Amino acid sequence: MNVTIANEGGKVISAVTGRVDTTNAADFQEQMKPLMSLQNPDIEMDCSGLEYTSSQGLRIFLMLQKAVSANGGKLVLLNMQPQVKEVFDITGFSNIISIL
Amino acid sequence: MFENVEQYGLDLHCTMILEEYRESVPVFEKIKEIALNAINRAISENGIYITALESRIKAEQSLVGKLELKGVKYMSLSDITDILGMRVITFYTDEVDKIAAMADRLFDIDWANSVDKRKMHELNSFGYNSLHYICRIPKSMYFDPQMPQINEFRFELQMRTALQHVWANIHHDTGYKSGVEIPYDYLRNLSRLAGMLELADEQFSQIRTGINDYRRQVQQLVSSSKFEEVPLDGDTFGSYLKIKPFDKLNRRIAAINQAEVHHASCVHYISVLKALGFKTLGDVEKLIHDYSDDAYKLATYELGNTDIDIISETVAIQDLLIVYILENGGGEHGLIYMFNTLNGPSDYNTIRARRLVDTASQLPFMNR
Repeated sequence: MNVTIANEGGKVISAVTGRVDTTNAADFQEQMKPLMSLQNPDIEMDCSGLEYTSSQGLRIFLMLQKAVSANGGKLVLLNMQPQVKEVFDITGFSNIISIL
Repeated sequence: MFENVEQYGLDLHCTMILEEYRESVPVFEKIKEIALNAINRAISENGIYITALESRIKAEQSLVGKLELKGVKYMSLSDITDILGMRVITFYTDEVDKIAAMADRLFDIDWANSVDKRKMHELNSFGYNSLHYICRIPKSMYFDPQMPQINEFRFELQMRTALQHVWANIHHDTGYKSGVEIPYDYLRNLSRLAGMLELADEQFSQIRTGINDYRRQVQQLVSSSKFEEVPLDGDTFGSYLKIKPFDKLNRRIAAINQAEVHHASCVHYISVLKALGFKTLGDVEKLIHDYSDDAYKLATYELGNTDIDIISETVAIQDLLIVYILENGGGEHGLIYMFNTLNGPSDYNTIRARRLVDTASQLPFMNR
C-alpha cells in the first residue's frame, strides 16, 4: 500500500495504491492523518491503483470523510476499480462518501 | 481625542451634562457589557432565534445635537435614557413579545418611560412599529460599590422584527426628522409599505405557527402508528426516521457478518421514494413489510461471501428499494435512476445497476 499527497492549485491531490487490509490499516490511517487535520480542504483522492480494501480500510475512509466534513472541506474518491467500488456499494458507504 | 467642551457653544447647563457624559463613558461601556451578556445568555437558554443584537453608545456629536435641541429638558445625564441603546431584531412578531418578557425578567424596567409604538397607531395609520423598554441593571445582576452608577443610569432596549427594522431604517434614511419637508406622496407610500409589512409580519408568524402545528400533528400520528394518514414529505419522513423503521432489517443484515452498523442519515432517500410514487408513510411501511425478506436475501448474497464487518445504516432502505424496483419491472434503468438521484450521475451507476440485475437474476424473488 502506498499513499501520495500533493498540493496543486489549491486542491489536495492524493492517491492510494495497493491493498488496504488488516496488516497495513494502521499505517494507512497514519498516512491519512495529515489530511484529517487540514482546514477547509478540497481533496481529490485517486483510487485507480487501490486493489482491495478491508473493513478496516472502510473505517479509515469514514474517519477521513468525517474529519474533512468537520473541518469544512470536501473529499472525493476518484477512478475506483469496480471490485473496490462494490465494497462501498454493498455496505451503503457509496451514500456517505462521494465517489466519482 | 475630545474636542474642547466650550467650542460646541452650548450653554453652561448643557456643557455640564456633556462633561458628565465624558466621565461616564466607561460606566456605559460596563453597562453595555453586562446587558449584552445577560441578553445573549437568556436568548440562548430560551432557544429564541434572532437576526441581530445591536448596541451603541451615543456619539458625542449626536449628544451635542440632542442637547442643542432639547437640553433644557434634562436636569442631568441620568435623565437621558438613550446614551446606551441596544436593539434586538427578531424574525417573528411573537418573538418580540418573548424578548420583552425576557427583558422584564432580567432588568428593572422604567415603565413610565417605556413605550410600545406598535400600539400607538390609530386604526387607519401605519408606521414605526417597535417596542422600547427603558431599563436599569438590577443590583441582583451586578453591583460594584466602586461604580454605583451602573445601577443608576438607564439604557434603551428596542425590540422589533426584521421587517419593522427595514422599514424604520428606510424611513430614517428619508431624513423625515431633518426638517426638510418630504412630499406627501412619498410619505403616503412609506405609510402604505408599513401597512404591507405589518401584514407580512403577521403572515410569517401565522405560517410558522401553521408549520409547527402540522409537525406536532405528524409526530402524534407517527407515534400512534397511523402511518397511512401521514403524507410523505421531508418533514414527515424526518419524523418517521426518528422511530428507526429500518433498524430491524439493518440488524438482520448486520448479523450476516456480525457487522457493526455505522450511523448515517437516510433522509436523502425521500427523493427516490417520491419518484417511485410513494405517497404516505403507510406506503413506506408497506415497503418494509412486503420487501424485507427479499432485501435480506440480496444482502446475504452480496455480503455473505465477504468478511466485511461494517455496514452503513442506509443499507436496509437501499436494498429494499433495489428489490422493489427490480420486482416491479424497473430493471436496469430504474436502478440507474435511483443511483443517479442518490449519488449524482456517474458511469459507476450503470455498472452497479447491471451487476445488480445479474445478481438478482440468481435470487428466488426474481424467479417467482
